[in-house]
Amino acid sequence: MLDPQIIDELKSIVGERYVLTSPEDLVAYSYDATFTSARPNLIVLPDNTQEVSEILKVASRELIPVVPRGMGSGLAAGSIPFGGGMVLALTRMDRLLDVDLDNMMATAEAGIIASELADAVAREGYFYPPDTTSVHYSTLGGNVACNAGGARCLKYGITGHYVMALEVVLADGRIMRVGGKATKNVTGYDLVRLLVGSEGTLAIITEVTVRFIAAPEVERMAQAIFPKLTDAGKAINAVLASGANPSMVEIMDETAIKSVEEYLRIGLPLDVEAILLIQTDGDEADAVRGIEIAAEICRQNGAREVRVATTPEEGKEMWEARSAISGSLGRIRPNKLGEDITVPHSAVPEMIAKIKEISAKWDLPIVIFGHAGDGNLHPNILFDKRDPEESERVESAVGDLFRAAVEVGGSLSGEHGVGVLKRPYLEMAMGAVAVEMQRRIKQAWDPKNILNPGKILPTKGAK
Amino acid sequence: MTSDRVEAPVRTVGAVADELYLKCIRCGKCLSVCPVYRETRIETLSPRGKVALYRAVGEDDLEISEVYAGKFYTCLMCDACREACPSGVELDLILNKARTDLAYSGLMPESLRRLDETIIAAGNISGEDNEQRLGWTANLESMPIGLDHGGQAEAAYFVGCVSALFPASYSIPQSLVRVFERAGVNYALIGGDEHCCGYPLFLNGEGERALAMAHHNVEAVRDTGAARVVMSCPSCYHMWKHIYPELLDNGELDGLEIVHETEMLAELAKEGRLCFKPWPVTVTYHDSCDLGRKSGIFEAPRHVLRAIPELTLVEMADHHENSLCCGGGGNLETYDRELAQALPRRRLQQAQDAGAKYIVVSCQQCKRTLFGGARRERIRIRTMDLAEVVSEQLEGEADA
Repeated sequence: MLDPQIIDELKSIVGERYVLTSPEDLVAYSYDATFTSARPNLIVLPDNTQEVSEILKVASRELIPVVPRGMGSGLAAGSIPFGGGMVLALTRMDRLLDVDLDNMMATAEAGIIASELADAVAREGYFYPPDTTSVHYSTLGGNVACNAGGARCLKYGITGHYVMALEVVLADGRIMRVGGKATKNVTGYDLVRLLVGSEGTLAIITEVTVRFIAAPEVERMAQAIFPKLTDAGKAINAVLASGANPSMVEIMDETAIKSVEEYLRIGLPLDVEAILLIQTDGDEADAVRGIEIAAEICRQNGAREVRVATTPEEGKEMWEARSAISGSLGRIRPNKLGEDITVPHSAVPEMIAKIKEISAKWDLPIVIFGHAGDGNLHPNILFDKRDPEESERVESAVGDLFRAAVEVGGSLSGEHGVGVLKRPYLEMAMGAVAVEMQRRIKQAWDPKNILNPGKILPTKGAK
Repeated sequence: MTSDRVEAPVRTVGAVADELYLKCIRCGKCLSVCPVYRETRIETLSPRGKVALYRAVGEDDLEISEVYAGKFYTCLMCDACREACPSGVELDLILNKARTDLAYSGLMPESLRRLDETIIAAGNISGEDNEQRLGWTANLESMPIGLDHGGQAEAAYFVGCVSALFPASYSIPQSLVRVFERAGVNYALIGGDEHCCGYPLFLNGEGERALAMAHHNVEAVRDTGAARVVMSCPSCYHMWKHIYPELLDNGELDGLEIVHETEMLAELAKEGRLCFKPWPVTVTYHDSCDLGRKSGIFEAPRHVLRAIPELTLVEMADHHENSLCCGGGGNLETYDRELAQALPRRRLQQAQDAGAKYIVVSCQQCKRTLFGGARRERIRIRTMDLAEVVSEQLEGEADA
């Protein structure tokens, strides 16, 4: 429990009602979208950057761990306060500050819901591409801190590719602005790039400027149904090598199909091993030609049926089936461990085969879905946390998954981040020298180790 | 079951099947549709937060308290979270069971306890003499035929507490009976024999106390000899249609058809018994939670609106199953007036963004809430009940 005087001091900064300490609040801020949880000592909800700065001064003086949090939809346990301390919830800082049409850039506070920024840009006729599945329930700041991705990354890249400038508060409370609206800027170290994906371990992101682009005229979506998963894997590479230029190539395996069908009841086939979802965009001619090429390639590679959406609504419905997978898995087992491995796209068929082997070896259902086109797969291990023996097997299976991904030239995370869950495997993926260099960066930015302590970097001497 | 407070052992969450909360994988999707979360941005008040609290109590990690109770009463019971949940968590059951546990444990907030006592004592939500339920008929041009139906009524009209007792809502029943009379519908009014349907008790976690009301109301309607009962209040409709069958013995509702005003108006329009004059305006239709999401009636009111010549019907960003609660649900208005009053703004903004000059509702509570919100926020948009629209746009009526 924190000293009441410190709580009073924090209340004087943000106002009485925005410092939460009831047991109920501590429960509600103890989790994210993973199966883990830990209660903080208190939650502080600032209204603006100045308040964040004042809060950090207190935390720095009193050595209180500060765990920044958006909407708690993270999948790496990155916003869970394992060592207690303060959850700094940025959800009240949700103002859209500027949509600059001349420079095609938008600026907002970190707590804005990502889709609200994208919608504001779309209302002006432009396009902000990052589209995480959680776009309606994650914050822009959280997207930047975890360098979030989404299905369109294949063609349009990840959140980091759009971040132009940041306002952050440092561990000691100083406010710093980095980056700007100049598209070319090689002045000094690229601190924007360093902060993107830093998961709250280097500074608190309070304001973000992103660039946006011209909107594609049309999108075309196709759904290809494959009796054999391996055929779907082959089709992915063939589509990528063709001139189809897809904006997304998504895969869902049979367990994912069943789970979604039970939720949405939209008539997905239950007797096949995989569905591929392919989208093209651009001007009408390009998008149509692209989707036809992709559809033909799928047919040649063993697809039983390929449906091309004739209306945007139909395309949206196809996408809904894919976007619902993760959430629908709770219908099968109470807990899921959603991994985020990323491999060269040529290795996707091999990786899928390895996941199947790991599933059989540890006798655990593993659902496979994800952004197959960019090699980012989400094998989800389904289990029941209350069964300790099963949980141990989950641990072992995770280790095997990561090793398999690294063996084929991939890595641990494509878009969720490291958080706590992937921390033990960081050295395996990056090597001891790279981990040591990151430790030094952390030490320079946060010498007292109060910013999201224990995240990303493995504890020294641990496995 | 009896109508009085049941002498049952205090029910705790632990006694409830844990499958209710185990399905929650905490993805956060419900946050994006919850009107209370969207306004407050506080996790403890979100659906996911409430499931976590309920679970913590069930797993002996948290004790129920007044603070805990406050979180569960800060809820519109609008069911948007249940609709959105990809994992199939029955949030409606969890939220209701939590309130039931709290009521049994004596932790229902005082303002809501008073509401329940008023309903039990007076037979209505305002505490007035229940015989005053026909006050809305006083200004009509002639005595409504529903008071003298001669046992030949095809439908009994169950007016509902708000429309019967709050003068600002009188125009809804006034309009509906005018439409019935123009269309030649023989209907019955039951006046003071109508009691509160009991839905507010159900929302407060005291659904079992509604049993006597259910018996009484069904009998009062049966006495008219009508084979149907029609409601203009979606909450009464939802209570009669979905909760009375759970409360009452088998057979008590047999042969009685329960319909909502919108269904009856759509039927009359289809049969050609309503002829409309042109109304060249852009309107949007607001699906109330009890009629839409909870009862699945979406098309009947839209059918009626489309039957009006020159009317343009547009949809708001959130509509049909995903409709955004006006802020009038869940007895939140009684528990936290300040928050409830902040909620209509987002919905009104959606109506403006859709280009609508009118929001048509089929719920007296949505009308009150949206009307009040528009006045406070100085938003120039009119709110009307479907019965009012139909009444004004009937061929031969003077222009409003």
